[in-house]
Amino acid sequence: MTDKPINAPTATLREAHGGGSATYVEQPNRLAGGLVDHGRALNFDFDGRVLQGHPGDTLASALLANGVRLVGRSFKYHRPRGIFTAGSEEPNALVELRRGAHQEPNTRATTVELFDGLEAGSQNYRGSLGFDLLAANDLFSSFLSAGFYYKTFMWPQAFWEKVYEPLIRNSAGLGRLSGEPDPDSYDKGFLHCDVLVIGAGPAGLSAALAAGRAGARVILADEDFRPGGRLNAETLEVDGMSGADWAERAVAELAAMDNVRLMTRTTVHGVFDHGIFGALERCTDHLPTSGGKPRQVLWRLYTKRAVLCAGATERPIAFGDNDRPGVMLAGAVRAYANRWAVTPGQRVAVFTNNDDGWRTAADLSARGVEVTAVVDPRNTQPRAEIPGAAIRMGDAVAGTRGRKGLKQIELASGGTIPADCLAVSGGWNPNVHLTCHQRGRPEWREDIAAFVPGKDLPVGLTVAGAANGSLSLAAALLDGETRAREAVESLGFKPAKHTPAKAEDEAVELTPFWHVKKGRARAWVDHQNDVTVKDVKLAHQEGFRAVEHLKRYTTLGMATDQGKTANVLGLAIMAECTGKSIPETGTTIFRPPYSPVPIGAFAGRSRGKDFRPFRLTPSHHWAEEQGAVFVETGAWLRAQWFPRPGETHWRQSVDREVEMTRGSVGICDVTTLGKVDIQGRDAAEFLNKVYINGFAKLAVGKTRYGLMLREDGMAMDDGTTARLGETHYVMTTTTANAGGVFRHLEFCRQCLWPDLDVHLISTTDGWAQYAVAGPNSRNLLRKIVDPEFDISNEAFPFMACAEITVCGGTPARLFRISFSGELAYEIAVPARYGDSMIRALMAAGEEFDVVPYGTEALGVMRIEKGHAAGNELTGQISAQNLGMGRMVSKKKDCIGNKLSERPEMNREDGLRMVGFRPVDRSRSLTAGAHFIPRGAVASMETDEGWMTSVAYSPELGHSIGLGFIKRGSERMGDIVRAVDLVGDSDIEVEIVSPHFVDPEGERLRV
Amino acid sequence: MSDLTLTPAPALGGYRERFEGVQLEELPNLAIVSIATPRGGEAEFAAAIEKAFGVAAPKPGHSSLSKDGRTRLVGMAPDQTFAVFTHDGPDARQVIDGALDGAGYTTDQTDVWVSLRIDGPRAHTALERICPIDLHPDAFPEGRAARTVMEHLGTIVLRDGADSFLLLSAHSSAESFLHAVETSIRNVT
Repeated sequence: MTDKPINAPTATLREAHGGGSATYVEQPNRLAGGLVDHGRALNFDFDGRVLQGHPGDTLASALLANGVRLVGRSFKYHRPRGIFTAGSEEPNALVELRRGAHQEPNTRATTVELFDGLEAGSQNYRGSLGFDLLAANDLFSSFLSAGFYYKTFMWPQAFWEKVYEPLIRNSAGLGRLSGEPDPDSYDKGFLHCDVLVIGAGPAGLSAALAAGRAGARVILADEDFRPGGRLNAETLEVDGMSGADWAERAVAELAAMDNVRLMTRTTVHGVFDHGIFGALERCTDHLPTSGGKPRQVLWRLYTKRAVLCAGATERPIAFGDNDRPGVMLAGAVRAYANRWAVTPGQRVAVFTNNDDGWRTAADLSARGVEVTAVVDPRNTQPRAEIPGAAIRMGDAVAGTRGRKGLKQIELASGGTIPADCLAVSGGWNPNVHLTCHQRGRPEWREDIAAFVPGKDLPVGLTVAGAANGSLSLAAALLDGETRAREAVESLGFKPAKHTPAKAEDEAVELTPFWHVKKGRARAWVDHQNDVTVKDVKLAHQEGFRAVEHLKRYTTLGMATDQGKTANVLGLAIMAECTGKSIPETGTTIFRPPYSPVPIGAFAGRSRGKDFRPFRLTPSHHWAEEQGAVFVETGAWLRAQWFPRPGETHWRQSVDREVEMTRGSVGICDVTTLGKVDIQGRDAAEFLNKVYINGFAKLAVGKTRYGLMLREDGMAMDDGTTARLGETHYVMTTTTANAGGVFRHLEFCRQCLWPDLDVHLISTTDGWAQYAVAGPNSRNLLRKIVDPEFDISNEAFPFMACAEITVCGGTPARLFRISFSGELAYEIAVPARYGDSMIRALMAAGEEFDVVPYGTEALGVMRIEKGHAAGNELTGQISAQNLGMGRMVSKKKDCIGNKLSERPEMNREDGLRMVGFRPVDRSRSLTAGAHFIPRGAVASMETDEGWMTSVAYSPELGHSIGLGFIKRGSERMGDIVRAVDLVGDSDIEVEIVSPHFVDPEGERLRV
Repeated sequence: MSDLTLTPAPALGGYRERFEGVQLEELPNLAIVSIATPRGGEAEFAAAIEKAFGVAAPKPGHSSLSKDGRTRLVGMAPDQTFAVFTHDGPDARQVIDGALDGAGYTTDQTDVWVSLRIDGPRAHTALERICPIDLHPDAFPEGRAARTVMEHLGTIVLRDGADSFLLLSAHSSAESFLHAVETSIRNVT
């Protein structure tokens, strides 16, 4: 065993595999055989030292092969730590992987597949891994016990923010983020199956074979890169061949089935409602680069049935200094030897309370590794003959020696035994996690001293194999097959006839043994969060006895491994303290994800500008050419204004657009307004019921403004509806409410009045619609509209509508409606002509000095005209507030009619929408200001209303506003104060009519 | 009257791209007309459809090809059918009106949608990345149609061949939709 200082690089990685003449680096702990390709060497870099492994290795197995035992420092005390397990449950061996922006912290070395050129580094130390300055924490451990945060940093209070918090933050955490944007991409996806099999160990393969052979659609997901689970780690035989060979044959059979999808490197991380599972597939993590493809895919699996074959996790026994590098789980030690052809030590001792642990001694001994001792606390006969090993029945390991790695073990009975690796087994905990994601509670099984899945399982899920407490290989194979047969039969498939796989029923007997009470050194329970037996006892002593309290107080199970190796041990010790049984003590809640899922995978593609889709108006590309400034309105991008050369402030552009429109003609893309095609014999009656005002008598060829209420009487939306034919109407809605109004109308149609013959379909995107406004709008349109359509004031008066043709036969719709208060039209053509139409309109308008205007100018003109919009229609405003109370027709019923009669909504001193102008015309108004009487203190009691919209009116030459104020319509000429405490302004304003421009509406009708 | 004329422009400029095992193309000449069944006029509607297209009106989620193979009728809702056919020009509605003679209320939906066809052996694999519904041939055989959501965008998906799918999504977000489908293809090819 070498304990070379690992910070002394022998060669750079580039040198090692750059020229293709890789120097052979000796791997002192490499054995023969196993499932790695000894014929090929892979170079990798760990802390600047170039090492070699083989295809099939994990980073952990390759490090062990090279004799590297010290791989990181612990979270709190910065104790030296080594590799503890051989799977995703690893608490210790967390490394930083890759370099630069690709750097990923807290990666478990036990799950990292080795590739040529892999770069990894240890983490959580100051100075060097071998000499960590923060290891001093360990000397002060008595001050850093459980709950020390809550006790230590209380005084003086002023120190918290400036001293304690920065200090804690600086010391906390494990790996470091690159601090750069993640250059990798991630994706999501959706898969469907009859049967999902989670885990491809003996139970999972057996289940997948049974379900696949029956013809069901099967997904078999396994977190490992090599399916087989423990079959690859054991020497047990199935059907007369090695477990690994049987697994390979099973996988080949499954791969040949069209109805089976085999997903390796895929962790099913959560169970959600209705048979939906979450899974993370690591697509390119095992490759040097992702090649531009998504690094990981987060799958949503829709399943009819699922069989959980997640296996079991071995648990340690706590004893003094049991965290020293070299102390490992027995099953892991065996896995390294059998699967990866690596012995974690040259002199291995075993400490086990069960028969399974003995197999580690037997397997290693059979591979020629020196086994120095087997220590078993049970007072029974030895389970095997291990040549050369000291067999200590009824004894225990009470302590360990060796600074940065194990050298000797101390026995409870006294004396020491040399060992550089101690394989510990305290029994196996079935991986019940997924069975509990919907609040299921696991049940205690005395014979295996472990929690097994309870009866209350997620719908459609059954459990097989070790995950269900069937710990022997024969039991797992049978269990998987049985559960899968039941699943496919319940779905109507006929299980195929075949001979089930056979294996020996190996011994798994165990006597519970949790921790060695002898010895003064600290005994670790949760390696990753540095929780010791003493901490658990302290929690008990201080009253934090419930498991959830124990967890929060000590941080047991709160690390990235979620306590997979620690939790049961921790609560067994708590049970001992309280004198309760383990099942009485209970477990903490299991929540997704089963193992860490990068936030990047949850985000998927939703990054940057791809966070959500954009809707573009038909004139978008033309507007881009004009240099328009765009604004997001919902998903739409709309032109806000069109700056011209020399304009340096948005107000210059907006004022110009308003002046030119009111002076001659302007054009605005209003495609974003919702359009609903309404047809049917009862369409008029339908409109009468959804709008407060009457629509029954609207003539063909006419348009009407309508206001609709919610059932509670509050204003929901407004717009115009045009009658194009006897049974054909087109409704417009506001941009923001287009979806909501359509949904509301469908609800009314389908649920409230299903007997009406009325049909709805959205045509919002189908028509490119432009407002053409200003005194020259008709003159402009005459150049566009085909001559057979008379659009003179007499033939096509205010509020007329018609289906026409433009530009020599292109179908169009023309509405004479006005939001600006000018003579105005809205003209619509099928969206495919939208780009061509804006260019035609601008060309036709050239002689009138036509101007395109954006949403800002649109807003200025509607405020000048006193039209309510989104700022006013907040959902808390009634028709009465808008001054439209009398529009609520009492001759008919409509949605919201009844509740709009509530007294509170008809108070005489209710809010009314009115206009405001500053007494000092040079002052600017602010939206959100509240109206306070002159001389009063601004408070809730004196508040009379608020300003909703403000604009600078180029027409009037000063700031104007719309707002709601009590009794507004009766108070024309009154002066109040507009107080904006946030913006720190207090301006006297005069209450005026909201119709600032052309109050009589003469311009509309010329 | 001026000499101005309007030229139609496809939402995606007539996009067409080949990838390994997948082809994606915009169908700019695909006309879509929705037909609503008048309440109380169901029998007349069924007879008119049968007469005009030689097939029965499909149930929601299903489609049928007219006898002449030129029009695909898609059942969208109990009282709503889409007629989808290749047609150049803005008068698709009149074509259906002429065929049905007033037995249904029609609305031109051509410009409401952008139409993409994705086909090829890897089309299904690409769609797995954005389509939440099960497109396995057993669950979604040729002729089946569904409304769903792909990357936040409402989408109608119709299988019009063993490896071929018609995707309809909103015209205004056509560029975002294309990006979503293209990304899915690039991620699997």
